[in-house]
Amino acid sequence: MPDEPRDRILAATVVCLGRYGIAKTTVDDAAREAGLARATVYRYFPDGKEQLIAESITWAVAQFFRELAVAVADAPDFPTLVEQALTHAHRAVAEHVVLQKVLETEPERLLPQLTQSAPQVQAVLRDFLAAKLRDEDLLPGIDALEAGDWLARMGLSFILAEGRWDLTDPESVRRLVRTELLVSILQPAALTG
Amino acid sequence: MTAPAAELRLVDADAPAPKPGSDVEDRILDAALVLVARWGVAKTALGDIAKAAGCSRATLYRAFPGGKQHLFLALGTRELATYRRGILDAIDAADELGDALTRALVVAARLLHDHDAAQFILEHEPELLLPFLGFHQVDLLYRETATAFGPRLERFLPAEQADRAAWAAEWAARLFITYLFNPHERRDLAVIDDTRTMVHTFVLPAFALATASPRTP
Repeated sequence: MPDEPRDRILAATVVCLGRYGIAKTTVDDAAREAGLARATVYRYFPDGKEQLIAESITWAVAQFFRELAVAVADAPDFPTLVEQALTHAHRAVAEHVVLQKVLETEPERLLPQLTQSAPQVQAVLRDFLAAKLRDEDLLPGIDALEAGDWLARMGLSFILAEGRWDLTDPESVRRLVRTELLVSILQPAALTG
Repeated sequence: MTAPAAELRLVDADAPAPKPGSDVEDRILDAALVLVARWGVAKTALGDIAKAAGCSRATLYRAFPGGKQHLFLALGTRELATYRRGILDAIDAADELGDALTRALVVAARLLHDHDAAQFILEHEPELLLPFLGFHQVDLLYRETATAFGPRLERFLPAEQADRAAWAAEWAARLFITYLFNPHERRDLAVIDDTRTMVHTFVLPAFALATASPRTP
């Protein structure tokens, strides 16, 4: 469990969301789960439950992408990084117990919160990808920031829904990344590895 | 109000050609559309719709015996059929794949932008869209888009690449959804130059490759 009281409270709230749902989780539940006094929770989240829920969902989203960054940290090259990111993120969404439970029982409460954090997620992912792309051999006329924006959008789109692609199949992911998504961005030599 | 929406298919390839409603039905639906644009779905009552349409409640119930849910299902079906037709017409007017995807996206964006009732719902009653745009539903949306629009894109691709037409349609749908929920600071799908640049820069190269080497892995 995280050491900082703030993180500890947010992590505990996420646990409660999985157990009781968004509507029924209370500040008391979060305090008990975090092993802290109710007053401590209010010191960090003075607006109470609403603030606590909203910030805990944002925290969980950030946590999801922190873990994603760790999962792809050792990728030997950019196409492999994108492949690993799609594979990991797809599995992480499917296996995210709290997310799946709340999606099933209270989508009307969860989705507006997720939609609100979408622009921030998009911006962070875009900048992360653009920084990596600046070290790559890009096709003529391709701008790293624009390409990062595009890839972040498509990446999030596939994490949300795989459509006709099978993201559990490495060959399918490889094809999607190397013969579709990156063909317009990287030099052909970079895609064959 | 989620029940009728759940029966509504945003893109339904199997939907029969919309049969023209009777004049009175269309007048009632037109009136409902104006009220939704102003007050939203939740606050629009049947009595208000009848009044705006200049008919009695009895007439309204004769046209839509299932009441509000029935009426709004009919309205959604009618509006989506019009939307789908607008996009198909845009595709049919194109002469190559990049042009077809560009036209389809621009028309989809403009029709939505100009649809006051849809704009009200997007802004004030987004929960009504959940049956379409949740995690699992959006997955279905992509598959249905591929089925509905893919066949009309086949003529832009070599015969052995026909399957890629469905993928082109899904890709365009992904593009549309990301820009709808996460607008770009500068690019706007309703602006033809923005969309054309995006399609030509990021989507078409994948199809040029496929055309050049039909034996994709």
